[in-house]
Amino acid sequence: MSKSHHAEKATGKGDPQMFKGEAGPAKFKVGDRVRIKDLPDLFYTRSQVYTRGALGEVAVVTHESPAPEDEAWDNVDKPEWFYIVRFRQKDLWPEYPDAYANDTLQTELSERWLELA
Amino acid sequence: MAEKHKAAPMVEEVSDFEALEMAVRELAIEKGLFTADDHRRFTEFAHSIGSLPAARLVAKAWLDPEFKKLALEDGVKASLEVGIDWLNPTGFGTPSDYTDLRVLEDTPKVKHVVVCSLCSCYPRPILGHSPEWYRTPNYRRRIVRWPRQVLAEFGLQIPEDVDVRVEDSNQKCRFMVMPMRPEGTEGWTEEQLAEIVTRDCMIGVALPRPDVKANAKRPVHKAIHPVEHH
Amino acid sequence: MNTSDKKDTHAGMSSQDPDLSRIALLENIRNEGRVWEDLCEQYGVDNPDPPWKVNLEGTCDALSAEACALPLLERRWEEDELSETLYSDVPYPERQLLALAHSMIRRGLVDEEELARRMKEVNRRLNMV
Repeated sequence: MSKSHHAEKATGKGDPQMFKGEAGPAKFKVGDRVRIKDLPDLFYTRSQVYTRGALGEVAVVTHESPAPEDEAWDNVDKPEWFYIVRFRQKDLWPEYPDAYANDTLQTELSERWLELA
Repeated sequence: MAEKHKAAPMVEEVSDFEALEMAVRELAIEKGLFTADDHRRFTEFAHSIGSLPAARLVAKAWLDPEFKKLALEDGVKASLEVGIDWLNPTGFGTPSDYTDLRVLEDTPKVKHVVVCSLCSCYPRPILGHSPEWYRTPNYRRRIVRWPRQVLAEFGLQIPEDVDVRVEDSNQKCRFMVMPMRPEGTEGWTEEQLAEIVTRDCMIGVALPRPDVKANAKRPVHKAIHPVEHH
Repeated sequence: MNTSDKKDTHAGMSSQDPDLSRIALLENIRNEGRVWEDLCEQYGVDNPDPPWKVNLEGTCDALSAEACALPLLERRWEEDELSETLYSDVPYPERQLLALAHSMIRRGLVDEEELARRMKEVNRRLNMV
């Protein structure tokens, strides 16, 4: 889809709202324990290195959108569901103090990056 | 004899930077990288934004439980009530802000702070322009890993029994913090409350106080390690 | 087991390290150009931002819109890199502007010489009054 088609489709709805209904059923739901896959970064990604391999929990199911890995190349035919995944900081950083064991970090990942833990 | 009206001070010279900006823009338009119309629209947008609408959203939420519910469920809809339409200025938002605002509610148990570690995404339509420190690799890299240290540098000591939750906004959702309403504001109007909800409170690096109406001056730090992209 | 031994909190982008070689025109501007802080001090103006800052924001947005000549993430990562190296001693909005011009020149979106010519022309125009 060229950017001008994007404008036509998105006007009045917004982005990501314009992709509503296109991703099919969400694979994960709030509360699911998930692990972040370490997919090869072919060229472009918005999945932070520090999340790879980490165990987290789905906090919010946000919206449907083409994954940034696809969208960067204008491949917008297969939107995915996006999820805010919550991690314990202790699971992300080895030196994170035990005193703050409940501190968390959450970030958003598209479905391709998640698998049930 | 009538007094001559004293003109406000003005910068009376054209700097190289001013000329560079204009030259870049003109050439870009001539080469079709974007249209003059698009540029004008985005510039007007940049000119129009500030943090007051977000402050009013928080103040409204503090005063009205129904509105608070809306704000937490549908940030874009709640934004409309403070005069902000996330579809502006194109009819479908901007290429960096998108149209999915989420409001993060601080509670007695959880303190939120927002970052975009990848590139400094920020909820501009409702919160205005991001401050310089928010854009630096120093903040972006450190807040995800050492949030309490960084918050302490901002003057915020979070007690051990309050959990710190970092929101790394790396995709299309945009986030702002709804801090807790401070003591000493009983009976205040929405306007009075909005005045103390500063931009930094809504990023999450400051807490609203009845006597503070401005963001503190922040030093900007360089990152110690060289930037690595791999 | 997570890979938190990786210090970098950035995602991967297949290495397209920006060209950090200096660009003469921009070096010139960096050395000779008067930054807003200094202009404010001289003229007793207290606006925190130069008037062209909103125009710069407009350009950055427009570049990542429809025709998408310069995508946001690429531009920002280069800005990060350039801000820590070539333009580290330049204040914020001037630095962002230099980084943008740098990225555009290196990508061939604008040519250094034509930019220099256009700057002369702009200066002439703006100083005509």
